[in-house]
Amino acid sequence: MTKMSGESAGIGENADADTGWVSRIADMLRLSGPTKEKFLLARKRGKNLWTVYKSSKTGMIGLVMLLIVLGMAAFADSITPYGPFEPTGAPHETPPSPRNWLGTDLSGWDIFSRVIYGSRVSLMIGLVATAVSMGLGTLVGLMSGYWGGWRDEVLMRITDVFLVIPWLVLMIVLAYVLPGGASVTKVVFVIGITGWSSTARIVRAQVFSLKERAFVERARAIGSGDWHIVRRHIFPNVFPLIFANAILTIALSILSESTLSYVNLGPRSYEVVTWGNILNDAVQAHAMTLGYYWWIVVPGLCIVFVVLAFTFIGFALDEIFNPKLRRR
Amino acid sequence: MRSVRRVFLRRLLNALVTLMLVLILNFYLFRVMPGDPVKLLIPQDPSIGPEFVERQREAFGLGKPLPEQFLIYLWNTATLDFGLSYYYRTPVWDYLLDSLQWTLILVGTSSVLMIGIGMTSGILAAWKRGGAFDTGSLAFSLFFYAMPTFWFAMMLIVIFSQKIPLFPPGGQLSIGATLWPMDWDRFMDLVDHLVLPAASLTIGSIAAFSLIMRGSLIDVMTEEYITTARAKGLSEYKVLKDHAVPNAMLPMVTLIAMDLAFVVGGAFQTEQVFSYKGIGWATIQATYKRDYPVLQAAFLLIAVTVIIANLVADLLLIYLDPRVKMD
Repeated sequence: MTKMSGESAGIGENADADTGWVSRIADMLRLSGPTKEKFLLARKRGKNLWTVYKSSKTGMIGLVMLLIVLGMAAFADSITPYGPFEPTGAPHETPPSPRNWLGTDLSGWDIFSRVIYGSRVSLMIGLVATAVSMGLGTLVGLMSGYWGGWRDEVLMRITDVFLVIPWLVLMIVLAYVLPGGASVTKVVFVIGITGWSSTARIVRAQVFSLKERAFVERARAIGSGDWHIVRRHIFPNVFPLIFANAILTIALSILSESTLSYVNLGPRSYEVVTWGNILNDAVQAHAMTLGYYWWIVVPGLCIVFVVLAFTFIGFALDEIFNPKLRRR
Repeated sequence: MRSVRRVFLRRLLNALVTLMLVLILNFYLFRVMPGDPVKLLIPQDPSIGPEFVERQREAFGLGKPLPEQFLIYLWNTATLDFGLSYYYRTPVWDYLLDSLQWTLILVGTSSVLMIGIGMTSGILAAWKRGGAFDTGSLAFSLFFYAMPTFWFAMMLIVIFSQKIPLFPPGGQLSIGATLWPMDWDRFMDLVDHLVLPAASLTIGSIAAFSLIMRGSLIDVMTEEYITTARAKGLSEYKVLKDHAVPNAMLPMVTLIAMDLAFVVGGAFQTEQVFSYKGIGWATIQATYKRDYPVLQAAFLLIAVTVIIANLVADLLLIYLDPRVKMD
C-alpha cells in the first residue's frame, strides 16, 4: 500500500488501538483478503484525519453548525406543525402568531414550516450541483494536466471561457436558454456547469507537479498504462485537495441556488421549497414594503448559517490537505 | 527582451481565442439550442406586426444556412448592430449604452471604495497578525462572504429606507429627473440614490480584497529583504510602507481584474434589488420580458469587457513584475 504516498499517510500513527472491533465489522461484512485490508486502511485514514481535524476550532464549529442543519432537514416532519404545501386555515400573508410562528405566505402556507423543509432541497441542490462541477472539473483537470501539450491547450482555453464569464451572468443565460423549465434537475445542471472551471485549474496544477514525481515515474517504468497511473497514483493524491475544494463549492452552490431563485429562474415554489424561492415569494408579495420582515430575515439567515458551516469545514480541511496553507 | 515579447503575444493570443469561443458560445446558445431559433429570436406576441418580424428575420439572417448566419452574426457584432429590443422596439445597442452609464457609476464608485477599504484593512490585519483587528476583520469578511448579496441589499432597504427613512429604496434618480445638465441638486439626488446600492456592492466585496491583501502581505513579510530592512534599523512603519506593501501590491493587479467577474455578479443582484437600471437590471428584466436580443447582447458585452480587463491586468503585470518575464 505504499502507492498512496500522499500527505495523508503520515499523520498520527496511533490509530491501531481499536482495530479489533473494526476488524470484526469487516468480518461481518464478509470482507476478505485485499478488500478487508483496504477497509481497515480506509478506517485508519479516517481516524487519522479526524484526530487532526478535531484540533481545528473553526472546523469543529462548522461541523456542529452543519449537524444542526442536517438535523433540521432529517427531522423536518416532526419539528414542523404543518407540511410545506399544507393549507393552515389561516388567511394569506398574516403576521406571526402562536399558530404560525413566521406568519403565512401568499398561498396561506406556514412560513416557519417551509423554512424548515427548505433545508432539504437547498442542501440537496448544493450537494448534487457540487458533485456535477467536481466531476467535470476533476475530469478536465486530470486530462489536461496528464496529457499536457495541445490537448491541455484546448481544454484550458475552454476552461478560460467558463472562468472569465461572470458566474451569475452565465447562470442566468443558461437557465433561460436551456430547455427543461424550472425543474430542480435543470437548476442543478446549470449551477454545476457554471462552477467547474476553478476546480479544473486546481487539479491541473496539482497533476502537473505529481506526474514528475518518482512514484509515477516508477509506475511508468514497470509498464503501467495511463489509465492505471491516473487512477491509482495521481487521483488518490489529488483527492484530498478536491475534497476540501468540494466542501467550499457546496457553500457557493447553495448561494447560487438562492440567487437563481431570487431572479425567478430557480425551482417553482409550488413544486419544491428552497430558501431561495421562499425569499422570491417574499419579494413577489412585496414583503419589504408591507413590513413583513420576518419573511425575509429568517430564510436569509438560514442561508448565511449553512454557507458559514460549509465554509468553516472547508477552510479547516484545506488547512490540513493543502501544504501551502499550513501555518508557518 | 525576446521572452517578454513572447509572453506578451501569448497572453494576447489566449485572450483572442477566449473571445472567439465566447462569440461562438453566444451564437450557439441562442440559435442551435433545441427549439425553433426563429421562435426564439422572433417574439411570439400578436401585437407585433409582420414588418417587425421581417426586419428581425433579415437582421439575424434567419432561415439561411448556419455558417452564413454565423458570418452575419459576426458582422453584426463588429458593427454593434444587435437588432431591436422586443420590448422597447428600439435598437438594443442604444438601450444597453444607456444602461451602461448607470452600471459604470455604481460599479465605479463601489470599486474605488472596495479596493481602498479592502486593501487598507488587509494591510492593517497583516501588520498586527492575530490581533483584535485581524480577528475582527476576518469574522466580518466571512460573514459577508456567506451572505447572498441580494439579501444584504434587501436588509439595507428594510433598515435604512423602511425603518429609518434615510435613503430612497430604489431607482437612480428621483422620478422624472434627468442626469444632464448636471447641477448641485441633481448631483445630490444622484448621490442620495447611490448610497445604499454602493454600500451593498462594496461591503459584499470588501472581503475578497482584504483577504488577498492580507495573504499577500504576510507572504512578503517572511522574505529575507524584510529581515534585512529591519536589521538596518528601519522603523516598523517604514519597513511596511517602503518594502513590504509595494511588493505585496503586485498580486492585487491580477486579482482586481479577476474579481471583476465576481463584482459583476454582485452588481447584477444589487441593481435588481434597487431597481437601479444598469446592465444587470436590463439583463434580468430581459429574462422576465423574454427579450432575447437584449439578453444576447448584454451577455456578449459583459463577457468581452471582462476578457479585456483580464488581458489589461495580465499585460500590466508583465510590465510591473520582472519575475513574470522569466517564465
